Amino acid sequence: MSFERNMKLLNLAIMVVTLRGLPKKWQAAVYFLAGLAVGLVIFIARISNAASYLSDAPGACMNCHVMTDAYVSWQRGSHSRIAVCNDCHVPHSNPVAKYAFKASDGLRHSYVFTFRLEPQVLDLSKGAKPVLQDNCVRCHTQIMQTVHLPDSSQRKCWDCHNNIHSSVHGLSSSPAQLRPELPRAGLHSVRKGVQ
Amino acid sequence: MHQISQKGIEQRPQLPFWSGLVIAALVAGAIFLLCLLAVSIMERRWESLRPAMILKPVADYEPNSAEWGLNYPRQYDSYLKTRITDTLTKFGGSSHRDYLQADPLKVILWTGSPFSKEYFQARGHCYSARDVAESNRVSVPFNAATCWTCKSSDVPRMMVKIGPKKFYAGNFHDLKNEMTHPVGCADCHDSQTMKLQITRPALREALAAMGADINTVTHQQMRSLVCAQCHVEYYFKTDEHAGLKNYLVFPWKNGTGAEAILGYYNDSNFTDFINPISKTPMIKVQHADYETYLTGIHAYREVSCADCHMPYRTEGGSKFTDHHVQSPLLNISNSCAVCHRWSENEIRSRVESIQVNTTESLQAAQNAIAAAHFDIAAAIQAGANDDELLQPRLLLRDAQFYFDYISSANGTGFHSPAESMRLAGKAADYAQQARVLTARILARFKVTSQPAYPDVSSREEAAQISRQFTEGHAPKLLP
Repeated sequence: MSFERNMKLLNLAIMVVTLRGLPKKWQAAVYFLAGLAVGLVIFIARISNAASYLSDAPGACMNCHVMTDAYVSWQRGSHSRIAVCNDCHVPHSNPVAKYAFKASDGLRHSYVFTFRLEPQVLDLSKGAKPVLQDNCVRCHTQIMQTVHLPDSSQRKCWDCHNNIHSSVHGLSSSPAQLRPELPRAGLHSVRKGVQ
Repeated sequence: MHQISQKGIEQRPQLPFWSGLVIAALVAGAIFLLCLLAVSIMERRWESLRPAMILKPVADYEPNSAEWGLNYPRQYDSYLKTRITDTLTKFGGSSHRDYLQADPLKVILWTGSPFSKEYFQARGHCYSARDVAESNRVSVPFNAATCWTCKSSDVPRMMVKIGPKKFYAGNFHDLKNEMTHPVGCADCHDSQTMKLQITRPALREALAAMGADINTVTHQQMRSLVCAQCHVEYYFKTDEHAGLKNYLVFPWKNGTGAEAILGYYNDSNFTDFINPISKTPMIKVQHADYETYLTGIHAYREVSCADCHMPYRTEGGSKFTDHHVQSPLLNISNSCAVCHRWSENEIRSRVESIQVNTTESLQAAQNAIAAAHFDIAAAIQAGANDDELLQPRLLLRDAQFYFDYISSANGTGFHSPAESMRLAGKAADYAQQARVLTARILARFKVTSQPAYPDVSSREEAAQISRQFTEGHAPKLLP
């Protein structure tokens, strides 16, 4: 019974992929469209620097232009000498948690940015706060062994240490003219010799 | 064998014809969405790589901001929002608030000056030319063309064309046809490079008089100095020997502090008007916003006017300066919150508590100043002469200057809380000193009880008292 059902499902899948039963012209049209879609996905993966999101390079966060000022202020803060964005902003308990967090955060970010819902001043989301707090303690373990704050479950490190991204936050942290160059994502590789 | 395979084929299910349409539609829909995403990504990139595109070069001193707006649409669009007039913060905003209605004592303080007749809260930049043309304060016989200086983006053009001396000496009403554009792009920007520049000679001259070199200031300082072309204390200098008529001067020769400015006025015996109640020569202070700001913590930390009043904005991949100049309380998240990471409500309540305290302190000073005017009037009625009243009048003049210095500024104390409270306190102290001296003078004339202070609690009553003193039939103040 279960073998037969599996065979049925397999058949259905093959049918959808091969478009068996459709007139040849229809098959060609659908394959043509599907090819376009695959090409577009590759194209978008390229122009959005999709592969860079798998890495820990801070430049990846800057792909999305609203993060430029966070990048600039991080660069000026003390942490830029030792830590990158992902060291603080994604969980490090295990690789699955890390990539699951990146995926869900990334999807939310791309949704917000595509539909122009981004706020003028970025603040930590509810889900980001515990991750960040864990990461503070992850590195500053020794210091925290001697510190016991009352209500420490309520308090976050950055309630007091609020200059991690240098003292000026947000859009005012860099004049428009002095923004770092965006990571390249165009046809520069086939335009050798063109400045 | 052949038959079996034939049968096998027939038995395999086949997609119905309509499913082709459905699959094609689904795939086409997916492609459509993917294209939108691709266009969105490319547009955002393009915006951030090319913040400006010059479609049509701007002519030198182009007064029409719409022409600049062709090349800088985001800045221009946000500038146009200064047309909004229904915003009210607790003490400011951009509506046509009637200050005299809200506070009738001001009518008494400014009796003898046009400010006792009409005094509205200023509207946004887009209304500057219209509002000054319609103001009752600039009406015949008062007609100084100098009043146009800060009201139109045609001024830089005219300053170059006829020179400041001739500009100021002209007739306000004759210039109406030239002054057709409100404050706009040309007032602060170079038309070729968009660099910030000083277009008003008065600021250049004032800085030169202080020994400062305008050419050595940084861009960050320019983000305040372009505002200081207008949002400062000033006076019109008339000097027939030097051939100056209504020449616009910022009184900064001794410095930009309140005492330095008052010292400058007292040294040169300058008087704006004589208050007919106490017959005291007074100074009307104009919005000394820049000077007050210089004494505050934000100036100390090199935060410029534009950082709070014109904070950065993002639209997609582009970041630009918001040219909707307004109270930061109307845009807390972009202005205050970039440094002060608290909730909007917390920030607003901090600012408003400073403003409420300043207002309370100013009110105390104002009560004392109004009473001092009536005390001196009572002494005049008792028979005191000008020599006897010189000291109380000097004190009253200084008291009202310090009061007005904070009262007429736009931050209601926020631009420099400690300085504002200090000057309000000084104003109250000087006014009460004037009252003590006047009480002694009255005692010499055997008047030991309190003068009969007229009721000025409504604007109509205050205006009537003001008129009676101006027309020379003052009410009897002696018991």
